[in-house]
Amino acid sequence: MKHYVKIRINTTKKSDILLKLNRINVDIRNVIYHKDYLVMDILYDDIKRVKKYLISYKLEIVDETGIYKVKSSLKKNMLFIVSIIFGIIVFMILSNVIVKVNVIHESRELREIITDALKDRGVMPLTFKKSYQEYENIITEIKNSYKDKLEWLEIDVDGMVINVRVEERIINNYDKETGYCHIVAAKSGIVKYVYTQRGVQEVQINDYVNKDDILISGEIKLYDEVKNNVCASGEVKGEVWYNVKTSFPLNYEEVNKTGKMRYNFMVKTSAQEYVVLKSRVLDKVVENVLLFKIFGMEFYIQKEYEVEKNKKKYTEDEALKKAINIVHEKFVVKGAKIEDIINEKVLKKNINNDNLDIEMFVAIIEQIGIKKNYELEMDSGTDDKDNNGGNNGVN
Amino acid sequence: MRIMKNLQNFLLDQDYYIDIFNNCLHVYYYESLISLSDKLIELKLKEFTLIIEGNDLIVSAMDNHEILVKGIINNVRFVR
Repeated sequence: MKHYVKIRINTTKKSDILLKLNRINVDIRNVIYHKDYLVMDILYDDIKRVKKYLISYKLEIVDETGIYKVKSSLKKNMLFIVSIIFGIIVFMILSNVIVKVNVIHESRELREIITDALKDRGVMPLTFKKSYQEYENIITEIKNSYKDKLEWLEIDVDGMVINVRVEERIINNYDKETGYCHIVAAKSGIVKYVYTQRGVQEVQINDYVNKDDILISGEIKLYDEVKNNVCASGEVKGEVWYNVKTSFPLNYEEVNKTGKMRYNFMVKTSAQEYVVLKSRVLDKVVENVLLFKIFGMEFYIQKEYEVEKNKKKYTEDEALKKAINIVHEKFVVKGAKIEDIINEKVLKKNINNDNLDIEMFVAIIEQIGIKKNYELEMDSGTDDKDNNGGNNGVN
Repeated sequence: MRIMKNLQNFLLDQDYYIDIFNNCLHVYYYESLISLSDKLIELKLKEFTLIIEGNDLIVSAMDNHEILVKGIINNVRFVR
């Protein structure tokens, strides 16, 4: 293949140049006329000759042509191309490597079992990831190996981390329930709802019960005679009264953004968070945006918003509302719902050292029935009586 | 294209070949380039001199026996 190069000859006498090139038998192609110069393709081997004969003209090679152009641009960008290829290879290797295997379950024993089972099958840190089908096979194998322990197993590939979610098989054996029990009142209150699943209901709606009163009895009686004993089950809800005291500070700091924002970087590992740059804002609120995760580390860009803090004071009414909300939250934390509160009243309120102290009465509907086991009296007379009673009944 | 023309030339056994198309004039097998300007090009062929007259004439490609001229061609003459 002939090696042509694109050259530029600076001249205003274009015809003269072409005539001279013709005289020295130089092949020219793709001649383009410009105002002060000519651009053309000539054979690379002719360049020396042209330079020799056109000594008074400025001649420069501006480009290669054809395959040589591709070669030349490859040569020029060799470092960049090699870097890109190397980067792609590294990326492909890294994106196919497992850096962490998380077995997600609360039982340590089960986690260890699954981790060992995965290790035996080549799923461990610093190994290559497997295909979807291989993971499916591993799941089936592990499930078959631990039939009595595993209900369900899932392998989720999240980047370089493998999350293994496990559901433990719980073998329930309700028939083995032994013992006798009553449902008794855990606290004093007025019964508002009773559902008896097993046992004898001893209370009615709107009955007042004291703590430890039997609500659903495990003793099945006929004419005051105990015929059978069961473990009572059911649900009893009652209206319970509380006297609650709480305190709320009247002074507070109002935080407002000034509009000034600075960027920072943050690296988060499982143990700690590192802020890369020194913060340029004194009082701030921070917003983190995740950039990427690699090797179990998370890289965030941090937006630090400067804030202004102003000291303010609640009015008594505002503070009272807040204090009541705190009381509500206390009940919510205990498992109640706001709608379960059927009555409430502020009994006392006074301000002490910039704090509003209140005492409140709250009536709430809540679960009051709890199971309480009891033993049968091993009295021979009673046994005989029971047996006789039983026989009488049958006969 | 050149292969085709060479083949054609070989088969027909011609001393020269001239064709004109789309403001282009292609001469195959000229002996020498006598003069060259944007208005006049003179080519020496075996039996005659070819004179091309026109405006904005440019040489687009050229080697020692073949030339391609582009531009507004007004007149092509043969001088024997």
